[in-house]
Amino acid sequence: MSILLALLYGIPVTVGVTACSFLIGMVLAAFLALGVRSRHSALGALSRATIDVLRGIPPVVFLFIIFFGIGNQLLRMNPFTAAVIGLGLISAGHLAEIYRGGLSAVHKGQYEASSALGLTGADTMGRIIAPQAFRVALPGMTTYAISLIKDSSIVSTIGVAEIMFIANQSARSGADGLTPFLIAAAIYILLGTPLAWAARSVEAKLHVRISR
Amino acid sequence: MTEMLNMVGQWMPRLLDGLWLSLQVTGVSLVLGIAGGLALAVLALSRKRPVRILSTVVTEIGRGTPALVMLQFVYFGLPQTGIMLEGFAAAATALTLTTAAYTSEIIRAGLKSVPQGELEASSALGISRRDSLRFIIIPQGMRIAIPSLLGFSILMFQVSSLAFTIGLPELLSQAYSIGASNFRYLEVLTVAGLLYLAVTIPAGWFTRRVERKMSQHL
Amino acid sequence: MTTSNPLTPEQETATPAVELDGIRLRYGNHLALKDVSLELAAGEVMAMIGPSGSGKSSLLRCINLLERPESGILRVFGQSVPLEREIAAKELAQLRRKVGMVFQSFNLFPHLPVLRNITLPQERVLKRSRDEAEARARELLERVGLGDKADAYPGKLSGGQQQRVAIARALAMDPRVLLFDEPTSALDPELGIEVLAVMRDLAETGVTMMVVTHEIHFAADVADRIVVMADGQILEQGDPDQVLTDPQTERTQRFLRAVKDR
Ligand SMILES: Nc1ncnc2c1ncn2[C@@H]1O[C@H](COP(=O)(O)OP(=O)(O)OP(=O)(O)O)[C@@H](O)[C@H]1O
Ligand SMILES: [Mg+2]
Repeated sequence: MSILLALLYGIPVTVGVTACSFLIGMVLAAFLALGVRSRHSALGALSRATIDVLRGIPPVVFLFIIFFGIGNQLLRMNPFTAAVIGLGLISAGHLAEIYRGGLSAVHKGQYEASSALGLTGADTMGRIIAPQAFRVALPGMTTYAISLIKDSSIVSTIGVAEIMFIANQSARSGADGLTPFLIAAAIYILLGTPLAWAARSVEAKLHVRISR
Repeated sequence: MTEMLNMVGQWMPRLLDGLWLSLQVTGVSLVLGIAGGLALAVLALSRKRPVRILSTVVTEIGRGTPALVMLQFVYFGLPQTGIMLEGFAAAATALTLTTAAYTSEIIRAGLKSVPQGELEASSALGISRRDSLRFIIIPQGMRIAIPSLLGFSILMFQVSSLAFTIGLPELLSQAYSIGASNFRYLEVLTVAGLLYLAVTIPAGWFTRRVERKMSQHL
Repeated sequence: MTTSNPLTPEQETATPAVELDGIRLRYGNHLALKDVSLELAAGEVMAMIGPSGSGKSSLLRCINLLERPESGILRVFGQSVPLEREIAAKELAQLRRKVGMVFQSFNLFPHLPVLRNITLPQERVLKRSRDEAEARARELLERVGLGDKADAYPGKLSGGQQQRVAIARALAMDPRVLLFDEPTSALDPELGIEVLAVMRDLAETGVTMMVVTHEIHFAADVADRIVVMADGQILEQGDPDQVLTDPQTERTQRFLRAVKDR
C-alpha cells in the first residue's frame, strides 16, 4: 500500500516531463520540418542530418550527454531541466518526421491554387497548408505522445524522481523487490489508455469532417 | 586535437567491446522475440475466443510497459520468485518480452493483409487451416511485415542501451564508466553516440531501400 | 492413385453430381437464397445467369460450404452434407476433394511459382509425392496451354494466364465437379477468350461443371442447361436455346435484353 502511495507521487513528475518535452518538441519540430522542405539545399541537408541524429542516438545516451557531459563540464543544470531538454530535442526529431508526412500528404494543387489566388508564401503555409497537414499528422502525434510517456521512464537514470525512479528505489530498499515494478507497469499502462481513447475519437471525428 | 584523437583511440577497444555486446543482446532478443511475436500473432487469429483474448492482453501489457520497467522487473524483481538471471540473460529476457509484444502487432497486421480470396481458394482446395497458415498466410504475412520489423529492430538496438541499468557492460555502460574514471563525460559519451549512429543511420537507409523494393514488387 | 480421369461420366450416371433441396442462406438478416432446389447430373455442364446480387455466387459457395446454408439438403455425389450440425473436419475434407472451384479473382498464391501453386495442394491434401504432383501439374499446364510458365510467379502472368493456372490447380485435385464463379469477368474480352477455350475443352471431355457467367454465347454454345436466378430464387431453367430465345418470365426477358444490348 505504501508502495502504491509512493509511486503515485511520481505521476505528476512523469506527466510533467512528458508534457514539457512534447511541447518543446512540437515547436522545434516545425522548424525542422520546414527546414527539410526548404528550397535552400544546405538548410535542407542540415535539417535532415539533425533529424537523423536526434532519432538515431538512443534517448538515454542523449540524456547522458546533456546531463553528465554538458551538465558537468559546461553548464550546470538540474536533472529535470536536462530531462526536458533531452526528451524535448528527441521529440522534435520524431515529430518533425510526422509533420513532414503530414505536409507531403497535402495535394500539390493546394499550393498552386494559393499562388493563383495571390496568397503570400507565409499565408499559404500558415492558413492553407499547415491546417490540412496538421489533421493528417494528429494521429501520429498522439501515438508518439503515448510512447513518450513510456520513454520518459528513462529520466529516472539521471535522478528525476518520477514513477520509475521511485519504483527502483522502493524495490532496492524494501523487502519486496517485485511489486513496485508491477505497480509501475500498471500505472504506465493506465496513463497511456486515455490518450489512446482520445486518439481514436479524434481520428474518428476528423475522418467524418474530411469525408464530408 | 591529436591529444583528443589519442584519447579516443585509447577508449575505442572498450567501446567496441561494448558495441559488440549491444549488438549481441539485440540480436538474441530479436530472434527470440520475433518468434514469440509470431506465436502471439497466430494465437490472435485463433477461432477460440479465450485464446484470442489472452494473446491481446499479453500483447497490450507488453506494449504498455516501458522497456526500462521490463528490464528492472526481470533483473531486480524476478529473483524474489526464485528466478535469478545474470546481466546478459536478464537483458535478453526483458528485451525479448518487449520485442514479442511489439512485433506481434506488426506481424498480425501482416498476416491479416493476406487477401481473403486466397484463404477461400485454399479452403476450396481442401487445404487444412494449419497448412494454410504454414504455407500461405505466414510466408506472405512475414514478408509484408519485413520493413516494419527492420524499423523495429533499429529501435530495439537503441533500447538495448537501457541494459546499462542492470550492469550489462554494453556500449553505454562502457562509455559511462570511462567517463566516471576521467571526467571526460562529454567526449566519451559523444563518441558512444556516434557509434550508435554508425549503426542506426546505415540501417535506416537499408530499411528504406527494402521498403521501396518491396513496394515496387506489389 | 488413379490416373484415369475421374471426371468422366460413364460410371456414375445414376447418382446426380450435386443435389440441392430447399437451400436457405442468410447474411445477417438478408435472405440471399430462398429455399433453392436444383440438381446437376454427372457429366452435365450448367450455366447460371442472372442479375447482380441475385445469389449466384452464394449458391455456388454453398456447394463446397464456403457459405453455410441454415437449412435444406445438400448432397454431392451421394455424400450427404449435414447442415443442421457442425460438420466434422473429415467430412468437410471429403466434400472439398470432390468439388473444385475457380474464382473470379483467380486467387493464386502470389508467393509461390505457378508449378508450386499446383503441387502444394496435391502434396498436402492428396498426399502425393513431389514427383507425382509435378508430373500431374506439368501435364495440366500443357493442357491449358501454359507448359512454359511453370516457373513464373503469378504476378508476371496476364489475367487470362492466371485464370488458366487456377483451372489447372483445381483440376490437379481430381475433383468430380468444377464450380466456376464468373471466371472471365475480371478479364479483358481478348483474354477471356483463352479461358473460355479451356473451359470449352473441359466441357467436351465430359467434366461436370457449374458455371456462373455473363458470357451468353458461351452459355448458349457449351452448356447443356441454363439456370436463371433472380432475387435468391431460380426463375427458370432449361435448354439454352429455349431459355435464351423464348424466356418464360418477364424478369428473364428484361435481364436478357440488358445483357444482349451490351
Ligand atoms: N458476405 C456477405 N455478407 C453480406 N451480404 C452478402 C455477402 N455476400 C453476398 N451478400 C449479399 O447476398 C446477395 C447475393 O449475393 P451474391 O454474391 O450471391 O450475388 P451474385 O448473383 O453472385 O451477384 P454478382 O453477379 O454481382 O456476383 C446480395 O444481395 C449480396 O449483397
Ligand atoms: Mg457473384
